[in-house]
Amino acid sequence: MKKRIPGAILLLLILAAALTVWMSRFDYAFQDREAIMAPSTAQHWAGTDEVGRDRMVRVAAALLIGLTGATAAAAITTAIAALFGLLAAFSPPWMAKILMFVSDVFLSLPWLFLLMMARSLLPLTASPMETAVTTFLVLAALGWPACSRAVYGGAVQLRNAGWMIHGQACGLKTRQLIRIHLLPQLRPLLLPQFLICVPAFIVAEANLGALGLGVGEPLPSWGAMLLELDNSALLAGSHWVFLPIALLVVVLLILESFTTEVEINA
Amino acid sequence: MHSQLRASFVFAGAMALTTIFALCQAAPRQPGELAWAIHYDPKTFDPAKVDDEASEMVRYLTGGVLLRINRQTQTLEPQLAESFHISLQGTSIDFKLRDGLRFSDGTALTSVDVAWSLRRVLAPATQSIVAAEFLSPTQVTVDTPDNLTVRVHLPKPVIGVGNIFDEIAIEPANRPSEGRVTSGPFIVTDYKRGQYVRLSRNPNYWRREASRDKLPYATGVRLDVLNNREQEIALFLRGEYDLIDGPSADHFAMLSQKSPHSTRDLGASLNTEQIWFNQSSAAALPEFERAWFLNRGFRVAVSEAIHRADLARIAYDGHATPAFGFISPANKVWHDNELTYPHESAADANRMLSASGFHRSGNQLYDSAGHPVKFSILTNAGNPSRQKMAALIQQDLAALGMQVTIVTLDFPALIERLMKKQDYEACLLGLSNAEPDPSSMMNMWLSSSPNHQWNPSEKTPATEWEAEIDRLMQLQASSPLQRDRKAAVDRVQQIVADQQPFIYLVYPNVLQAISPQLRGVQAAILSPGPVWNVESIRREEGAR
Repeated sequence: MKKRIPGAILLLLILAAALTVWMSRFDYAFQDREAIMAPSTAQHWAGTDEVGRDRMVRVAAALLIGLTGATAAAAITTAIAALFGLLAAFSPPWMAKILMFVSDVFLSLPWLFLLMMARSLLPLTASPMETAVTTFLVLAALGWPACSRAVYGGAVQLRNAGWMIHGQACGLKTRQLIRIHLLPQLRPLLLPQFLICVPAFIVAEANLGALGLGVGEPLPSWGAMLLELDNSALLAGSHWVFLPIALLVVVLLILESFTTEVEINA
Repeated sequence: MHSQLRASFVFAGAMALTTIFALCQAAPRQPGELAWAIHYDPKTFDPAKVDDEASEMVRYLTGGVLLRINRQTQTLEPQLAESFHISLQGTSIDFKLRDGLRFSDGTALTSVDVAWSLRRVLAPATQSIVAAEFLSPTQVTVDTPDNLTVRVHLPKPVIGVGNIFDEIAIEPANRPSEGRVTSGPFIVTDYKRGQYVRLSRNPNYWRREASRDKLPYATGVRLDVLNNREQEIALFLRGEYDLIDGPSADHFAMLSQKSPHSTRDLGASLNTEQIWFNQSSAAALPEFERAWFLNRGFRVAVSEAIHRADLARIAYDGHATPAFGFISPANKVWHDNELTYPHESAADANRMLSASGFHRSGNQLYDSAGHPVKFSILTNAGNPSRQKMAALIQQDLAALGMQVTIVTLDFPALIERLMKKQDYEACLLGLSNAEPDPSSMMNMWLSSSPNHQWNPSEKTPATEWEAEIDRLMQLQASSPLQRDRKAAVDRVQQIVADQQPFIYLVYPNVLQAISPQLRGVQAAILSPGPVWNVESIRREEGAR
């Protein structure tokens, strides 16, 4: 029951965002140059930004892009972590050591600087959508090591379980054992990892965007919109500039509540 | 990751607390002291080696000079020199010093000190950037016929030679002190790296007010090293700072609301904001793309498609003037009032592109070989007006079918791409013009110069019009007749308007915020802006 309320709120937010983007007469990139930093009006419910773009449409699009990108990146990073952890667990000890050493090296790298470096290597002409995809792919590629350590630990325990030895004695191949028995057993471990990654990636994208290295203009993103908060003149001009950060906090709190719930159940 | 998320919130909270704490911090003001912010630490206090804005400010406030450019009338005024005379041939200048001049430590200032200071600036070992303005600095000689006379001999005439002496501070001979012993209004008394530079009044400053009051009025100046506009504005509004030179348009509007009597918009500055395409043969660009940028029709069409009035209104909140040439209308002597330039017209832009071999298919523009027209515009991070202009231009060019991506880079990364790697397609940046005389822009217009941005360091001019600009700029730099100089500069302005190597966007207005407690401030658009007559500025406690 507890899980259903935040879930319903999130679903409602996503539906509202999708409807706003779909139904609005304004494209997220359209500049209404006669309505710069407009207050809330019948045309622009949440006013407009500094170049006259509809704030409601942009916030809605940023929510959809952020959630979709972060969810996809979390799924990829969890899959990589599962693959890496399992590979190490079922390899000879020397190979497991090497694989975990590689994972530790990744873990010890300053990931924010790596993200910045990887993002800045993109060609200058990369389209806004390409920058969005690359940003989340880079997040996925750098987010797996901590998770893979946890998977490795869990898989090693399960590898030595009695039912595993029984399965091997019955002639099941390692691949079959992993697919049919081990992965379902690891689900309580992988699901929280996945759920933790989603808000973490949303925050990481916002950080990159605030540094000017996230999703390219004119595609809306949390990070680019949070940049407005750095300007006291804008803050004094309209209260609607707080909408992106308010929505971000709500989304993060909902996602955090999922994680907490799953951790308690696990 | 979970802990990283929490850490992010903790970090954000800590940052907010730090910011609030920092906002409450400013070195305590001493009685009668003026205070404002400089954005970086001065690289040097040696007035002969100045090559950055912060050091230049310190030199201006501490260095006594023979001649000073009046920033309001833009004419030369004698300072340490009582009078000066330039020979008819322009190869000799005589300075007559004032009687009884003293350095801040009480020692006498004579022609020996002046000659020593000039020779030091001219010496190659000093590596002074001012020396290059004499064209052949090693051949310049300085004589001292008597204690009050200095004679400078030039190998050939230099246009506007008097202005150079505005940048040469006179120091005690053989005792360079890095601003501790000066002949200007203030001396350097304290410096804490990353925090502040404190200057105090020179007790032996030569100048007095008509009422015989000793100048400077202020007991000192505190220059806080602060590269945070938000903080600077908060401190100004709290009365901790006396002025802000060049607040952003957003902040200017806010300051106008909160402190209406403190803000001043002095109209168009001498500075320009422009966009240009990379035409360098050394650039790592595909040949077809370089061919677009070399195509005059392409550049003119881009210029015609840009709504400059929107740039001024939206990106600068109305505090900018649409620009069509490299000399601002604020530069009344050199601006060409008869200039003809491509006017804003989407229809003309489309016709120009068709005539240049481009064609539309749906919302996309293609060149004659079928390549879609896509390029990126680089600009620097941390300049909201430029980023807004880039977003507006992106939409203006989308109307022509051009796909533009905007890339913001921090300044060092941007300069690396522009100057070293030549790895960019188009760039949106501004140019600060400290001086109205076009001779100061030589390094930008000569095709052999590394600062000839669209095609740097050309061995020979790549086009006939660039060769003509070279010839005309050399002519204006060497012609003794103002009429000939003006004709040459007007022609350069017309060539640039026709060829659009730089597509000029706006002239940002000169914006200033001055505390109502300051008296004696005289508005000026030339650097150092409101403090150009710092010795006559005083702070009246209690006046608001």
